[in-house]
Amino acid sequence: MQKILAIAGLTWKAAFRFRLFLVVATLLLVAVVGLPILIKDDGTARGFTQILLTYTLSTITALLGLSTLWLACGTLARDIEECQMQVVAVKPVARWQIWLGKWLGLLSLNAVLLAVSGASVFGLLQWRATRLPAKEQTVLRREILVARGSLRERSYQTEIESDAERLLAERLKQNPTLADLAPAEKNEVRKQILEQVKAAYQLVPPNYEKKWEIDLGLVKHLLRDEPLQLRIKFNSAAKSPSGTFLGLWQVGVEQNTRLWRSEPMSLAPDTFHEFAIPPNLFDENGLLTITFDNRNDTALLFPLNEGLEVLYHEGGFGLNFARGLGIIFCWMALLAALGLAAASFLSFPVAAFFSLGVLTMALSSGTLANVVSEGTVMGSNSETGKVGHSVIDAVAVPFFRAALSVINLVKNFSPVDALSTGRSITWTELGLAFSQIVLLLGGIIGTIGVLGFNRRELATAQATQ
Amino acid sequence: MNRRLKKFLLLLLAVALLFGAGQMQNALNRERDRLGITLVKPLENAPPVLAFTTVALGGFRGLIANALWMRASDLQEDDKFFEAAQLADWITKLEPHFPQVWVFEAWNMAYNISVKFKDFPDRWRWLQNGIELLRDEGLKYNPNEVLIYRELAWDFQHKVGANLDDANMYYKQQWANEMAEVFGKMKGANFEKLVHPQTPDQTNRAARLREKFKMDPQFMQEVDEQYGPLEWRLPEAHAIYWAARGLKAARENPTKVKPDDLIQLRRVIYQDMLLSFQRGRLEVNPIEKIFEFGPNLDIIPKANEIYETNMAEDEKNRDHIEKAHRNFLRQAIYSLYVNNRLAEAAKWFKYLGEKYPNKPIIDDLPNSLPATVTLDQYAVACIQTDINETSHDRVKTAVEGLLVNYFRSLVMDQDDRATGFWLLARKVLDAYDRQIPQDRKEAIGLPPIAAIAKEIRERLLDPERGLTPEARAVLRTKLNLPAETSPTAPPVPAAPANGPSTNTVPNLPA
Repeated sequence: MQKILAIAGLTWKAAFRFRLFLVVATLLLVAVVGLPILIKDDGTARGFTQILLTYTLSTITALLGLSTLWLACGTLARDIEECQMQVVAVKPVARWQIWLGKWLGLLSLNAVLLAVSGASVFGLLQWRATRLPAKEQTVLRREILVARGSLRERSYQTEIESDAERLLAERLKQNPTLADLAPAEKNEVRKQILEQVKAAYQLVPPNYEKKWEIDLGLVKHLLRDEPLQLRIKFNSAAKSPSGTFLGLWQVGVEQNTRLWRSEPMSLAPDTFHEFAIPPNLFDENGLLTITFDNRNDTALLFPLNEGLEVLYHEGGFGLNFARGLGIIFCWMALLAALGLAAASFLSFPVAAFFSLGVLTMALSSGTLANVVSEGTVMGSNSETGKVGHSVIDAVAVPFFRAALSVINLVKNFSPVDALSTGRSITWTELGLAFSQIVLLLGGIIGTIGVLGFNRRELATAQATQ
Repeated sequence: MNRRLKKFLLLLLAVALLFGAGQMQNALNRERDRLGITLVKPLENAPPVLAFTTVALGGFRGLIANALWMRASDLQEDDKFFEAAQLADWITKLEPHFPQVWVFEAWNMAYNISVKFKDFPDRWRWLQNGIELLRDEGLKYNPNEVLIYRELAWDFQHKVGANLDDANMYYKQQWANEMAEVFGKMKGANFEKLVHPQTPDQTNRAARLREKFKMDPQFMQEVDEQYGPLEWRLPEAHAIYWAARGLKAARENPTKVKPDDLIQLRRVIYQDMLLSFQRGRLEVNPIEKIFEFGPNLDIIPKANEIYETNMAEDEKNRDHIEKAHRNFLRQAIYSLYVNNRLAEAAKWFKYLGEKYPNKPIIDDLPNSLPATVTLDQYAVACIQTDINETSHDRVKTAVEGLLVNYFRSLVMDQDDRATGFWLLARKVLDAYDRQIPQDRKEAIGLPPIAAIAKEIRERLLDPERGLTPEARAVLRTKLNLPAETSPTAPPVPAAPANGPSTNTVPNLPA
């Protein structure tokens, strides 16, 4: 361990020698202090805090990410190119220890920089929050500077699928010619029936009600006397002249729980709305019943996955913020492993180019996802729905699918989003991020890096200075 | 030559050349502008960061603007609006001379983003963001751009003024409050005090008008004289102001304006003149703590003049404007009649007959030419075209509505208006009575006006469901009724079912 720490110490020295630490620390602090002056918010404390968190944390992630890649490539590749590595390698220290030492050095460097910049953002937010009027502070503490957990209605996927299968079987029985359909066409029929069944669960026709029953589970004990928030979203079958629809909500069950009825709300479709509901509206089993009364002229559709969500206070902002930084730290650990792995068998410029290329591909996952969902890189005709195919697809689509699966292991976590909307980042989420990003991906990349470094013939390197 | 001296001289030369280039640049920009040899106008009034960015990025700023636009669109789809104002600011600054960019971003904030919020104050904030983007930034870089003036006017006319948005009354209230800080809470604006402020308070108000609302009191005075008197606490007056500013800019830069753009500005003016006549009077109800709109009948001659001018100037659209003009006159006559300004109503009725002698004046009656219809007949027909004249319920509703207005006008101390409502209610009832078959009178006849009025009066004086205590007290005084009994007093016993009934209500007009 001592040997690994000694190498980590050398990495720190290199960071200071390149003046990287000072430059990055200064840039980070300038970004944290300067951004609030430059950015324009929507005019509310809530909007300002959201934009501040988004911009500062994104800037910190971008700056640290790029500097980590650069330093990871530089510290190993340049050491080899400048023949300093030959001096280290002849010492009684294994190659894997050198590699790991450098990685730990980079991690500790990132940890310090992330802690300093994170603490500055946190301090700035808290300081600004105390200077706001009491009303604005309440909104901030209730909606943004908080960790809110979320509960949804149980999944109806099993029922939906079995209903769809039953309907499909009935149709086939009624119309035997359907049985002769090609498998792809039969799949299409199944898909359409599935959507019809799903619609029945989501749709609220005019003058009808929709009821959600949400089981609070064990959380009910923590939610006594705690106000909750509903986050809702719906789509409309037709547009209204005002662009909004009447929303009438009831929470609770008559003669069973306390009852709360909303004032008529003017709600726009296709967007999320949040509103608070009073505490203690659930029954003794922790079942919260929410009813929407559709008094509009058109049917409204509440999507199953995001139509209605109950948000509750789960914890404080400080710890949530720390967990968010923890996920960012995991990303940095992966980038450090990537840079070091590239530098293990490539020269500095090529390693830097390669790492940036991989990063760019990861950031273009939207394009990859499009190709995978369309099943071709050739594009499709939006009018006919036909897609072009080529031999490239045979290679590219599976490759993109595999790349996307790997990228999603990293990209599925969005700490900046969660923090700016006051959503909870749980310990489980952080643990999952650590396992997927650091242990799994970092481990694979690290192993490749160590193997490459072990097999690298250091004596062939020519001193550049 | 000494090395240092050489460097110094080179530096001096660089400074001189830069200065010379700066001088040339101004002259070149003026020439470019005069000759119209470039699509991209030189940027004026820009802060140093923006000036630097636009020059340094050159053609690449379009690409950056596209990237920002895509980000804004993605974020909007994800309901992340808090960044929208910042992105709109950057996009417009990267393309400061593209009026469509300003117009789109402002429209997006005022119309699309605002309605995404359920709370009215949030909606109002986004509407203001849209207005401010055009007024405070867009016009700064494009002071002669007709399209931006038109969009700004439209925001006031349609988004704030019309009633499509559920929050429209909130917008109007907020705007009236903001304007009250400049003009005070009384009717009528004293422009002299804003143009030549004498006291610190007047100076502050004038500064607020110029700096916050970017309005010129001198020009406001001109607009008020030309189109008014306008109620500057209402959005229609501001729509007229910004459209008039656009027309002025167009007059000053005739070569840069498309004729179709001018028509849009003129249309805003006459449409808002009509709206100002229909509901251009703001009545603050100090008792109910709300404000109500009423017609601004004083503006009728000016509105008529604007229609006439536009008909004369706009050959292409004359037919449309004539139709709008005729409708305006018909409404004006009816409103004057209802408000007991019978002489003026008669004057405009005569004018309508002279101007459009061959056009029917009553809807669905092709033979109702002005020469064949009296003013009284026309006024009654007006309300009857809105209601089904043989529909018992609808006529009753209409009469009740008129009588509620009668009592409310009394509370507001508008006795003339009250009398107008009373007379009209009586005429509607009489007309109905004449039209229904005699043998059906028992079945579908309506009670006399006094009985309906009594019912309405009692409803309004009901301590639980009626007007506020202050309004009830005012109404009792106006009607010479005794003061309300104390709520703790025992209830008055009900009259016997077979007791005498009366159709007369004390102190009501005959």
